[in-house]
Amino acid sequence: MRQRRKNLRNGLLFVMPWLIGFSFFLAYPTIASLYYSLSVYDMFTPPKWNGFGNYWELFHDPIFWISLSNTFYYAIFAIPLGQVIALLLALLLNTKVKAMPVFRTIYFLPTIVPPVVIAILWLWIFNTRYGVLNALLAGIGIRGPNWLGDPAWAKPALILMSFWTVGQPMIIYLAGLQDVPQQLYEAAELDGANWWQKTLRITLPMVSPAMLLNVIIGLIWAMQIFTLPYIMTGGGPMRATTFYALYLYENAFQFFKMGYASAMAWLLFIIILTCTLIIFKISSKKIYYAGK
Amino acid sequence: MFKSVNVRLRNNRLQTKGKIKAILRIWIYIVLIIGAVSFILPLAWMVSTSLKVDRQIFVFPPVWLPNPVRWMNYVDAINYIPFLTYTLNTLYVSTLSVLGALIFSSLAAYGFSRIEWPGRNLLFILVLGTMMIPLPVYVIPLYVVFRNLHWTGTFKPLYLRFWFGYPLFIFLLRQFFMSIPKELSDAAKIDGCSELGIYWRVILPLSKPALAVVALFAFLYSWQDFLTPLIFITKQKMFTLSLGLQQYQAQHGGTEWNLLMAASTLMLLPIVVIFFLAQKTFIQGISLTGLKS
Amino acid sequence: MRGKKLLVLVVCLYLLITGISGTSALGAQRTKITYWTIWTGFEFDTIKKLVDEFNASQNKIEVDVLPVSGLGEKLLVAVAAGEPPDVTAIGERNIAPYAIRNGVIPLDRYIKKADISRDSYISIAYDMLSYKGHQWALPITLMSCALHWNKGMFKKAGLDPNNPPRTIKELDTYNEKLTRWDSAGNIIQMGFDPAWPGWWPFAWVWYFGGKLYDPQKKKVTADNPQNVKAFEWVQSYAKKFGAEALQTFASGFGTYSGPTNPFFAEKLAMVYQGSWHANFIQKFAPDMEFGVAAFPYGPGGAPDTARVTVDALAIPRGAKHPDEAFEFIKWMSTQYALEKLALGHRKMSPLKASYNAQFIAKHPNPYIEVFYRLTFSPNARHELVMPVWDIYRKEMAVAFDSVMLLKETPQEALRKVTFRVQRELDRVLTKYKL
Repeated sequence: MRQRRKNLRNGLLFVMPWLIGFSFFLAYPTIASLYYSLSVYDMFTPPKWNGFGNYWELFHDPIFWISLSNTFYYAIFAIPLGQVIALLLALLLNTKVKAMPVFRTIYFLPTIVPPVVIAILWLWIFNTRYGVLNALLAGIGIRGPNWLGDPAWAKPALILMSFWTVGQPMIIYLAGLQDVPQQLYEAAELDGANWWQKTLRITLPMVSPAMLLNVIIGLIWAMQIFTLPYIMTGGGPMRATTFYALYLYENAFQFFKMGYASAMAWLLFIIILTCTLIIFKISSKKIYYAGK
Repeated sequence: MFKSVNVRLRNNRLQTKGKIKAILRIWIYIVLIIGAVSFILPLAWMVSTSLKVDRQIFVFPPVWLPNPVRWMNYVDAINYIPFLTYTLNTLYVSTLSVLGALIFSSLAAYGFSRIEWPGRNLLFILVLGTMMIPLPVYVIPLYVVFRNLHWTGTFKPLYLRFWFGYPLFIFLLRQFFMSIPKELSDAAKIDGCSELGIYWRVILPLSKPALAVVALFAFLYSWQDFLTPLIFITKQKMFTLSLGLQQYQAQHGGTEWNLLMAASTLMLLPIVVIFFLAQKTFIQGISLTGLKS
Repeated sequence: MRGKKLLVLVVCLYLLITGISGTSALGAQRTKITYWTIWTGFEFDTIKKLVDEFNASQNKIEVDVLPVSGLGEKLLVAVAAGEPPDVTAIGERNIAPYAIRNGVIPLDRYIKKADISRDSYISIAYDMLSYKGHQWALPITLMSCALHWNKGMFKKAGLDPNNPPRTIKELDTYNEKLTRWDSAGNIIQMGFDPAWPGWWPFAWVWYFGGKLYDPQKKKVTADNPQNVKAFEWVQSYAKKFGAEALQTFASGFGTYSGPTNPFFAEKLAMVYQGSWHANFIQKFAPDMEFGVAAFPYGPGGAPDTARVTVDALAIPRGAKHPDEAFEFIKWMSTQYALEKLALGHRKMSPLKASYNAQFIAKHPNPYIEVFYRLTFSPNARHELVMPVWDIYRKEMAVAFDSVMLLKETPQEALRKVTFRVQRELDRVLTKYKL
């Protein structure tokens, strides 16, 4: 009994810093913003209770729906494709290639470039007339579209751009791959497995925890995409790149609708939570946990 | 389980495998190199632009090798904004971030893994859950909280978010700590060690790779952080590098592209060097933290 | 012996340094106030010099001027948190949204006490900062926009370089003469592109006599027939030259401030730009012979129409030292300070008295007289001072894009704008009981 109480005390002591931080800097502000979401608040005058009025208004706001569908469109393409590329690269890098540290650094580098710089670089790459991308396409006889100026191509352009920063999930996959015991592969080879079968039966299950982590992190980031479209397209053309977080920002800081924006923020939270839970549910049957 | 037949078959297969392996290797190299080139292309352009004179920046066909090469751009870039001040500010914030992340995330991770207490796992799920709260949800009230504490206009909001437990780091370290055998803690307890003692003397020394990962990530995130300084820092003297980069742009759309590229290159350099040198530890650390949640 | 000398030296140095930096350890406590500005680079240097002059000219107030990026957002947060600067830069765009929410304090009382008269200002500059019967800010610079044309390109196309188009019809004719294609069919040069630089997509309606808002009825009139005509004219470019072709052409334009600006790179012969444009021409295309005149007007419009804008100063609500803040604003509003700022920034001073031969002669912009005359014109216009102008602007930009991409007819696009903006306006009007 006393041991139990002692453990409780010790446990709490250790997590105390986190607990304090959480209460003051996360829990309280989050609850405050929940209150804002149920009010009309323009930042200058105190919030005025509005019940679910903001949420009602959101459901009737066509731009809300546009921003939501834009964000889903982005997430549905960027996440799976990005993961496939990251995993592929990790698999390739995991074969004992020479100059592996150099390759790894090169692939990881783009993830640490400041957003402003990424924006400029890719504005240049996507330039219809002078950009590298269209120049390359012209080289193989394709007339490249007006990437960032055409509502139909703006989102695909951003999705393409997201592949450039695939280095982070790649590193996590690499770490996961290094965990796979060599004996498994050798035993499989003995049984006559080819590369495809080895990958499917051994590699994928062994990296599935890494995949879960990457997909969830990827989801959280994709749903909140803001900085790059903010700098590069300002949400256009014709609101094709007005993502959820961007519209939220506009409402909060440009249209003086802080309460409305808070409602959007809470909806986003619920959406992310729901998607994460769904992913967890699906994955609990598929993830292979070696060890614990 | 070796049967002689299998051995012979295996040897045959290995021989053909050898040839296939060689061809495969070449293809792997080709793909990797093409990939690497396309990944590094934008950065190469960034460095190349950082050495260009104005008139060569936005031309078609694009100029890859600047002519003339203007190394002075780097000197100009450093003089254009208070580069040294911003670097020192960023270093200050990043160092404190790393320290805080190491100390407090590991303390919390210890609490969540090496001690059994009621409600522990539930609370941990809460920790993970907080990772999903989008920033816009709490940023304005957070600003008010900081204001009431009189911490706005200081660096505190920038590094304190790492001090009070960064869920990702707590998660990584907890996973790692869980892989350390319980017997070690038990032995130390028998020797009369307190929990804190075990933490300090047993767990931490064994966790160097994982701690290295946390340190690296903490440094990376804080060095590059843009949103937090944007919201909380208004005094120009206190800008960090990522904020400072904006100053290469003027009111009516004027941007000194070559200087901006030079500054960006300088800003990236420490991270590149650190990552390149610490790669192995880094990846080892991630794998050891075990994604076996 | 050496130690003593060193001590004396150090003390002398200390006195010297503190003396130079002007921080008097003696003397009364100065009230410190903060001033947020959006200016950086040479524009910041100019205001900093003026601030230093103000600080040196008296010893009661010390102004600390800060360049703040993202000032709109930061100001919002600062006022909400109760910690705003004492003086802030502001533009006519923010007056109504801030005024109805008491984000800035009305300056009427201060203006009266300081004997500042509305009549000393060029009316449009002063009036665009008033709303609902109060004056919310004082202008410190003045800018207007006009047609700029490249005389060399005119000559090459067989046009009289000293005879700019005066009507929209003429503009279109000139444009046709100035447009060139390459062998592959790409546009390589045009006379005019209504989408460049796209900073004021709503402004074209003024040139057709359109109205965006009826303040009496409190109705958004984005789809007013003259507005529709204006957008039809805009769309005619896309129809005539091809939406995609124009996009491709425009994507080669580069940035505004640099040699790849289409006007400097001689891709566009005519542009609609402001009084600041001459600075950039001098920097990036010093050999260009250019002309400036009022922008052409269309059917329903009138001559000498121009977009006029100002930089202004206001006092946010919750400022700790509003009286001292206005002392500074008052000093900045003297003819001396205004002209110095105007010359440093190469803008105009908002005072009538500055419109004189000496000032014009001193001014680095060779056409500053044209810009000045436009600010006196009865057809000078400014961005709307109404509570939901931010939303309105944004929706107009969306409509403009849609029209230029031939996705919608001007009627449809502008009707959408009316509907959306009216809804927002009604909400705000109800909430603030306007």
